Amino acid sequence: MIGFTLEKRLETSTKTNLLVLAGSLLVALSAGALLLLAVGASPLEAYGAMLKGAFGGRLEIVETLVRATPLILTGLSVAVAFRMLFWNIGAEGQLVAGGIAASAVALFLPGAAPWVPQNAWVYLPLMGTAAIAAGAVWGLVPALLKSSLGVNEIITTLMFNYVAILLYQHLFNGPWKDPEGFGFPGSAEFGEFAFLPRFTGRLHLGLVIGLVAAVLVWIVFTKTKWGYEIALIGENETAARYAGVSVFRNIVLVMILSAGLAGLTGFSEVAGVSHRLQQGLAVNNGFTGIIVAWLAKLHPLRVVVVAVLLAGLLVGGDQIQITLGLPAAIGQVLQGAILLSVLGGDIFSRYRLRMIRTTAKEA
Amino acid sequence: MTSKRWWIALVVLAMIAAACGGTTSGEGGDTDTTGAEPAATTEATEAPTESTPETTGGETDAGGDFKAAFVYVAPIGDLGWTWAHDQGRIALEEELGIETAFIENVPEGPDAERVIRDFAQKGYNVVFTTSFGYMDPTINVASEFPDTQFVHISGFKTAANASNVFGAMEEARYLSGMVAGAATESNVLGFVAAFPIPEVIRGINAFTLGARSVNPDATVKVVWTNTWFGPPQEKEAAEALLAAGADVIAQHQDTTEPQKAAADAGKFSIGYDSDMRSFVGDSVLTSPVWDWAPKYISIVEELQAGTYQGDESWYGSMADGVVDIAELSPLVDAETKELVEMKRQEIIDGSFQPFCGPVLGANGAEIVAEGKCLTLGELLSMDYFVEGVEGEAPNEAPTGLGS
Amino acid sequence: MTDVTTIPDVAVQLAGVTKRFPGVLANDSVDLDVRRGEIHALLGENGAGKSTLMSVLCGLYRPDEGTISLASDGRLKPVDIRSPRHAIELGIGMVHQHFKLVRSLSVTENVIIGMDGVPLRLDVDKLGAEIAEIGLRYHMPVEPGATIWQLSVGEQQRVEILKVLYRGADVLILDEPTAVLTPKESQDLGRTLRTMVAEGKSIIFISHKLDEVMSFADRVTVLRQGRNVATLDVSATSKGELAKLMVGRELSAPPARRAGELGTTLLELKGVSTLNDRGLPALREISLTLGGGEILGIAGVAGNGQRFLAEVVTGLRPTTGGAIEVRGKDRTGASPREMISAGVVHVPSDRLGMGLAGNLSLADNLAMRSYRRPPLAKGIFLDRRKMVVEANGLIERFNVMTPGPATPARSLSGGNQQKAILAREITAGHEAAGGAVIVAAYPTRGLDVGAIESVRARLAEERDRGSGVLLISEDLDELMAMADRIAVFHGGEVMGIVAPSETSIEELGLLMAGERRT
Repeated sequence: MIGFTLEKRLETSTKTNLLVLAGSLLVALSAGALLLLAVGASPLEAYGAMLKGAFGGRLEIVETLVRATPLILTGLSVAVAFRMLFWNIGAEGQLVAGGIAASAVALFLPGAAPWVPQNAWVYLPLMGTAAIAAGAVWGLVPALLKSSLGVNEIITTLMFNYVAILLYQHLFNGPWKDPEGFGFPGSAEFGEFAFLPRFTGRLHLGLVIGLVAAVLVWIVFTKTKWGYEIALIGENETAARYAGVSVFRNIVLVMILSAGLAGLTGFSEVAGVSHRLQQGLAVNNGFTGIIVAWLAKLHPLRVVVVAVLLAGLLVGGDQIQITLGLPAAIGQVLQGAILLSVLGGDIFSRYRLRMIRTTAKEA
Repeated sequence: MTSKRWWIALVVLAMIAAACGGTTSGEGGDTDTTGAEPAATTEATEAPTESTPETTGGETDAGGDFKAAFVYVAPIGDLGWTWAHDQGRIALEEELGIETAFIENVPEGPDAERVIRDFAQKGYNVVFTTSFGYMDPTINVASEFPDTQFVHISGFKTAANASNVFGAMEEARYLSGMVAGAATESNVLGFVAAFPIPEVIRGINAFTLGARSVNPDATVKVVWTNTWFGPPQEKEAAEALLAAGADVIAQHQDTTEPQKAAADAGKFSIGYDSDMRSFVGDSVLTSPVWDWAPKYISIVEELQAGTYQGDESWYGSMADGVVDIAELSPLVDAETKELVEMKRQEIIDGSFQPFCGPVLGANGAEIVAEGKCLTLGELLSMDYFVEGVEGEAPNEAPTGLGS
Repeated sequence: MTDVTTIPDVAVQLAGVTKRFPGVLANDSVDLDVRRGEIHALLGENGAGKSTLMSVLCGLYRPDEGTISLASDGRLKPVDIRSPRHAIELGIGMVHQHFKLVRSLSVTENVIIGMDGVPLRLDVDKLGAEIAEIGLRYHMPVEPGATIWQLSVGEQQRVEILKVLYRGADVLILDEPTAVLTPKESQDLGRTLRTMVAEGKSIIFISHKLDEVMSFADRVTVLRQGRNVATLDVSATSKGELAKLMVGRELSAPPARRAGELGTTLLELKGVSTLNDRGLPALREISLTLGGGEILGIAGVAGNGQRFLAEVVTGLRPTTGGAIEVRGKDRTGASPREMISAGVVHVPSDRLGMGLAGNLSLADNLAMRSYRRPPLAKGIFLDRRKMVVEANGLIERFNVMTPGPATPARSLSGGNQQKAILAREITAGHEAAGGAVIVAAYPTRGLDVGAIESVRARLAEERDRGSGVLLISEDLDELMAMADRIAVFHGGEVMGIVAPSETSIEELGLLMAGERRT
């Protein structure tokens, strides 16, 4: 008879992590293969189509990077807060707040202050700053409630999502509706001076903003006193206080950074992709960012890698429908299986599976 | 520490559900403007997915067979908006024998452009994008693929190779109003409506004009649900209207809940999108319905013949067959049936339009004077109620419209 | 078991058990026989491998080499213990140092929780009666219907032991059971254990306290660095011999008190009061002075305000009255960071709770005081390489046993954790001109003899350099040996300040009980 038992590992090596990741993917893909066979599709063809759809050519890679751009930024946003064990579930709302603010600048500043030169060098920094500020304000309220009154940030950040999303829907359905839009919801299109420059296809400067942000966050985490304090608070708040670190100050500062990054995502999406405030900004990038940050183990450079891979999974998933003509649900199940396996496989990074042989005579 | 890690792992797992759903169904279409009601209905339909041929994908296949692609905002199983479009797609396959493909559940937002571009790149000759929120992405992709035709439903933008197609649902709404106006005994009609946007308001107004044409005492009470797809809200709204004395319930929603609520109360109702009588019963007196097959077939035929006007703005009418009302319930009396059929013929032959003067606003203003009719632009931006509607509209009725 | 000719009846035998963790050899081919009807002490310093060995025996870990055999029908048979649940099926049960009880459930529910074959519908009264009866048999009276949170620590321990007994264990492993008990409770436990062995059960008793081993155990096995260095009859050995075996060398005498003159006053508390977390008075108008070159002992039964004294002096808790002066400068209401700058350093009572961030590296932990200033800090940046260099220096000078500066602090033994904290705090104190104020709260609690020796020597050394040490301790011998003066706390007040040369343990006991010195 053979049985299995889990034993806690003292330390986890990089090799173990990679092996576990590979194993998790194998499990997910095998499970997916069974599902595909069950609906009469060829798993090889399906996975091939997904891979090709995500990374198979220049256009595919461009689209994957476009999809990855908001995930990099929200992943960083979440990683920053989670590093300090501040559970910011509100990246979605902070993103939307940033998108609203950036749109406000693009839509109304030309009218309110015609003397501001209408070119990208002036407008994009203004929009970005407004978005960061709006996101930060959106995150600051829960941060202050937490640090001064001890109000649970999970609840407040989550609720603030709904407030932001309802406000955003009200704005493009009502007061900010395009007067030329035949009554259809959505703001007017921004002037071209408010467009993020594009490299090729839809690939816009937002990707570079995300990459720079990742490097900056990495520097903060690993090279600065502040990063050290964040880690200290995250690991042991009492010890941090004992070391003379102001927890109040750090909660506020970390949330400004975290929520500011989420706000910046909103700017990148409206100025880079939609060019107006309309349906399609709150598409759960803030929540997917939690998965990105978690899979990246809160490491800012790994966030970039994970965001691109996850974007590939999402973009490639379309091919299940387009190429194979299978229902959308099959693609979702495959995506879900892969994410669940990778997250669930994490247990084997922390525990060791040991095989036990038992003999019949013993009892 | 360890326990906290576990705890957050749980939160994250819980989030997966939300996030995964989000990447495919977006914001649930809450503010979708086309009446394209994204549904989570899981009921199987007769929509034969197995008839979707596998496509080879990849390089543009210039000289090969004609291929059409469809981008849907909801699952084809919604029994409503998307289902109706998919009937059109199936008709293309069956009548013309061309190859089609579709992708469902595409959220309005950044993802839509990618999907549309992917179809174009795979060499589809025509791409139908069937939700208002696909307008900008459609126009964007059209500029990159001049040899591909794009057909956007329900928007207002066009390009050399991107046309805009929609239908005069108000014509069918008017007829359904006549049925309701004749059936009511309390003279109070209820209307469960999703969002106060022009398309919905136009429908309510046409319904009201139709009702009052046969019953000048009829009034229409409107309740906004602020959701396209919300079975409990829709049901509650219908029940509130019934309690307020309404005895016929009409709707611009995605489910049959208002119809069921009316039936449960022993009252009549008017459906929408599909013939809801077949799901709820004869208490559904009729339903304004979409039929996209004739237009889709003619677009493809003209494209194959090289005669299609790539930048057309087409607002189809009942004469074109894109809108109609479903067969009337046996509970509708013969006199009304005759009257409705007569009016239907007038609409089809062009001798009648619902929004021709005199039309008075809910505030008493004369919107359209005798002898004038609303222009298409005025129809598309309607944001006020006509006389006989009780409810909140974004604006007061103006005067002196029409030409 | 007095007859010398009787072949000892072995209940459990471990032969050549080896357990490796990456980079650590926790158990190195350990042999151990535990007889029926004996209390067998497992003695060793922290990190000697006692807990790992017992985790192997109770199924938490699997040995890399070696065999475990259990007596069955008078013969020893090798077994493969798959899990704690399997171990208990085989009659081996462990009582952990940290209780694993559900606080909101009753005693009965806690005892049967997780057992196989528990019927869906419980006859709680019958079960409770059974449990109470077992309790009485072993001199462990319990109220079966009582909820866990209502019980004292000693009573909770009884529930843990009952859990194991109720499952029919014949071999009980107790991990440092007296660490949480009062002397009276310890005595009761001794009686309980005696009753059990009289019935033929075997008890393995993990400890690093020599007194306890001498008074409780029949035989003792000493582990050092994962190896079994000796198994002895307690009657044939001495504390001195055991200490030597445990540490591997002779121990030096405790450091002497200072003979010289007191330096200037470093710390002065003038009528300081504060509240506890529930808003009740925790310190009432405390007035104390601490001079350079002095060790001021703080004695008292736990929970009489000593912890709050440490917290107000280090700025961790605001005062509600009075004034605190450091080197003559008013520091009332100063933040922890300001107190650090003022030269007040702190060896906290809760090492992993406050003194260290367990998952961070040792280097990170050693930098908790120094990261703000050069050479580690450059503007807003932190030089991680210098941090490691500094850490290596401290590790070497303070003789911290660790695989390296990158090792997480939690994986160090308690003694080495304390050495690391001392290294950090003492070094930080050196930056204070004119001597630091060192607040040392229970610095030797839970440590083995070798580590205790080293901690005491370090504190004495700092005193000799001119620092003032506020030594909070519940070990009166320690205070009598080291302190220049002893302030006795009771109910948040100072009952009296005495010099060890002019007082006795008895007088200290009276003061601790709340009798004011007249």
